[in-house]
Amino acid sequence: MIAFLRPHSWDFPLFLHVFGAMVLFGATLATVGLAFAGPRVPRLARSAFWTLLAVSIPAWVVMRIGAQWIYSKEHNVIFTKDPTWVGVGFGVADAGLLFLLVTTGVAFWWQRSGKVVAGRIVGGLSLVYLALLVVAWLAMSGKWGGLAG
Amino acid sequence: MSTYDWLLSIHITGAFLYVGGGAAAGILNLRAWYAERPSEIALLLRLISRIAVPAIGIGAVVSLVFGVWLVHHAGYSYGTFWVWAAIVLWAVAGALGGRGGQYQSKAGVEAARLAEAGDTMTPELRALVRDPVGNALSYASGLTLLVILILMIWKPGQ
Repeated sequence: MIAFLRPHSWDFPLFLHVFGAMVLFGATLATVGLAFAGPRVPRLARSAFWTLLAVSIPAWVVMRIGAQWIYSKEHNVIFTKDPTWVGVGFGVADAGLLFLLVTTGVAFWWQRSGKVVAGRIVGGLSLVYLALLVVAWLAMSGKWGGLAG
Repeated sequence: MSTYDWLLSIHITGAFLYVGGGAAAGILNLRAWYAERPSEIALLLRLISRIAVPAIGIGAVVSLVFGVWLVHHAGYSYGTFWVWAAIVLWAVAGALGGRGGQYQSKAGVEAARLAEAGDTMTPELRALVRDPVGNALSYASGLTLLVILILMIWKPGQ
């Protein structure tokens, strides 16, 4: 057996987790593009703000609910002590909320003020968050530290 | 990490780029729908072609190549429903997205032309951006990706 055979009762929480994470990645990618393409275009600031508020944050909630749900099923079944990949996933997820909230706040400031520096900050924060998301999915899909730690 | 872990990790990276790129394209397309100036529409559609489309393209190829490799490595069968259905839907998603993208390209060219010529919105440009066939094709491509994700997780027929 190469692949770990997952019980079907774990499928829906895993789907929520992965789908939320994929949409979150896409929304962050769009935000990076908007922020770097148009720091001087006020209407793009509005697009970036609404992307963060209406897509990124709801996607984060779906991803995080799915994560906790699947964790509650895996814990004490395939691991008792959190392996590295679980720690990285939770770390990025929880720090990510802070990133998202701060970025949304700065995007609101960018939308209201039209200041170029605000657009640059939104772009920079989103780029860092994009990199963190990549690290998280690599750690979780590659099961860093082994499946059971 | 085992060979299986490496292959799965790269396969999932491809899937993130494919689905994430599709989500980014959908978001930017929706913003173009509500944009009021041709210059803004041109910029949003250009972002789709410069950021979302490369992510989709790389993700599509990587997810397929490493997915097929995983089928061989893990000993899955091509006769299993979730395997062959995912491959068929992969082709369907690409065809739908490619056709929908042609409508967006046409709108992008017209938006850039109008942006140069006074940046005033016209009913023709609005109709191009909101073309029901083009948008239906693009969003159907996104829904097909969602079905592939469901197949990959539930693995029906396994």
